[in-house]
Amino acid sequence: MTDIRILLVDDEPDIREVVDVSLGLDPEFKIRACASGADALVTAAEWSPSIILLDVMMPLMDGPTTLVNLRNNPRTADIPVVFLTARTQADEVEQYISLGAQGVLSKPFDPMTLAASVRDYLPPSSLHHAV
Amino acid sequence: MSAKVIKSILLIEDNPGDVRLLREMFDEHGAHDTEMTSVDCMSAAERHLLEHVVDIILLDPGLPDAQGLGAIRRAHAAAPRLPLVVLTCLDDESVAEQALQEGAQDYLIKGQIEVRGILRALRYAAERKRLERLKDEFVSTVSHELRTPLTSITGSLGLLMGNAAGSMPAPMARLLAIAHSNSQRLVRLVNDILDIEKMEAGRVVFNFSRVEVRPLVAQAIEANRGFAEDYGVQVRLEDAHGAAADVRADPDRLLQVITNLLSNAIKFSPANHEVIIAVEKGADTVRLTVRDHGPGIPLDFKPLIFEKFAQADAGAARQKGGTGLGLSIVKQIVDRLSGEVGFTDAPGGGTIFHVQLPCWDHVASLAVDRDAKPGAARLLLCEDDLDTALTLRAQLRQVGFATDFAYSVGDALARAVTTHYHAVLVDIHLPDGDGVSLIVRLRALPQYRDTPIIVVSGDPGSGRDDPRASQLSVLDWLNKPVDLDRLVRILVKPTAQQANRRPRILHVDEDNAVARALSEIGDVVTVNTIEEAQRALKASDFDLAVLDVALAKGADPDLLPELRDRNGNVIPVVVFSAKGASLASDAQVSAALAESHTSIDSLMATVRDRLASRITNIREVV
Repeated sequence: MTDIRILLVDDEPDIREVVDVSLGLDPEFKIRACASGADALVTAAEWSPSIILLDVMMPLMDGPTTLVNLRNNPRTADIPVVFLTARTQADEVEQYISLGAQGVLSKPFDPMTLAASVRDYLPPSSLHHAV
Repeated sequence: MSAKVIKSILLIEDNPGDVRLLREMFDEHGAHDTEMTSVDCMSAAERHLLEHVVDIILLDPGLPDAQGLGAIRRAHAAAPRLPLVVLTCLDDESVAEQALQEGAQDYLIKGQIEVRGILRALRYAAERKRLERLKDEFVSTVSHELRTPLTSITGSLGLLMGNAAGSMPAPMARLLAIAHSNSQRLVRLVNDILDIEKMEAGRVVFNFSRVEVRPLVAQAIEANRGFAEDYGVQVRLEDAHGAAADVRADPDRLLQVITNLLSNAIKFSPANHEVIIAVEKGADTVRLTVRDHGPGIPLDFKPLIFEKFAQADAGAARQKGGTGLGLSIVKQIVDRLSGEVGFTDAPGGGTIFHVQLPCWDHVASLAVDRDAKPGAARLLLCEDDLDTALTLRAQLRQVGFATDFAYSVGDALARAVTTHYHAVLVDIHLPDGDGVSLIVRLRALPQYRDTPIIVVSGDPGSGRDDPRASQLSVLDWLNKPVDLDRLVRILVKPTAQQANRRPRILHVDEDNAVARALSEIGDVVTVNTIEEAQRALKASDFDLAVLDVALAKGADPDLLPELRDRNGNVIPVVVFSAKGASLASDAQVSAALAESHTSIDSLMATVRDRLASRITNIREVV
């Protein structure tokens, strides 16, 4: 049985912790967190997560740039990416989707239902392994 | 941070004497490090602004190519981020006020102000503009910056409340519940502030579609079920299975309206009472009412109820967890939906809020301009805001145009195929796509390759920056509200230059079937009387007239010599009437067909034939 691996990318340590606990409510989730886009590119290529939760506003490399870089690397190109962000105006969401994101979850989020929302974006293949 | 030094002024002024005078005065007062460039018309100013760095614009709005508020709008549209000061002879307080609303930072009267005053006014204007920009950026940054810590706070509190860290003693849980609900209120407040700021700045894009109101109400009730239970209030939708009530709205925004009204009604209802929502379909509108059994709205508060941060009893309302922005947002949204919102005291206590929105069918029926003058050139306006569209139609009607509406890209393409339009006006933001994509698709249709297309938008710049834009031969990019003079000048010009145009047919009859059939061949103007036909001939050119002489009521022999185009050339006529045979000898009558013996098909064949031979004739002459 393979775990559902979730890579969280956010520069705010407090948010990383809250998301970690919230997602940890789902016993099948295995979570790793990165504090920057650059770290995320390396971890994603090595660890092959089932899905990536990506913040938008990060110093040095922001979320959209990180997504483009993930898509350009064959080892990470097919990993689903969902933005977890406070920037969810219609035009912003449109931009994320056009860059190849699977969806957007808005901050602040409901910690008790976050795991279920993330599950909705998991590709059927990862669920199949997990069951 | 202090204000920036003004290094370059663009003076837009067509009076050379005033330009010289200003230059001399500036030099005398030692404004040597300020460079002043002057241009004498708006188009030169627009070119200059594209190519040069300018710190501030000084504008006399009486220019050869732009006047008054239109000139101010154009200057502001050309450089929305630059401070703009008006310098004019027109000492009119109401004009000055409108100028400031259109984006000017100051309004100075020539002769009333000396050069030191002008220099000071320019500095202050630059500073005001800088602060305004900072405010806009501030609001959007703050809303994001506030949400980041709020995410950690509401997230942590939510986890504790959900016992994710184990259960806790009751007194601790009570205090945490207070912290949790207030953190959520803070989130709502931040969302509402950002919403209202965006709406006031006109930056919210509404995606209009056909919306059935009752399912949306049911959705709002469902979403507020827990909230209603907290207050011990029941919510009921009256006549839940009534006749379909479809409106034209943005479903997300309409849901926000219903939710805000519903949560208000719940908050102010005493426990064990009902909130009743009803949806009624009228002739042109759908009326949604939300009735509560609360204490009612105090008399002195009634005029303020839709104001921002207005709460009747601030203390009580705060206890209810409101932001004071809910009804203000409702009002802003309903205005944008071309609807009305209001309230009345309910009989027996409580309040009834009502929202009235245009029916889908009614809005759809407005799309075709049925009241235009006969012979008016028909335009297609692709615009999703009904009020804006109706205003522009009324303005264009006064200068002789008929204006049909398309509310979406799909709508526009469907209309463009069935009717041929003289010109197309396109808004950049449409619910199902952007205006530039629409223009790309229109240009791909052979009959719209050369049709004049003009962009009319609240934000024409965003379309102009589109890399495809330069290839689309858009005649102009106009800002809203539209400078009508400029629009009309553009619309009138290109008619004669249109190559490959469709033939124009003047149809003098009352028969709709004939009109429909003719519209497949060319652009048809249908008139009912000979007088209207003569007016139409003066207003525009036609290639052919199709005429039912029975309408002339005995005046037919007098009419025929009148059928000349504006250059005096005779127009071929196809007479379509039972009397046809008797007129066939007249040289101008190309074909006379007896209505009773002729099918529409053979009439159309004759019309095609005459048009073809006329075009051949013209070629021979050339």
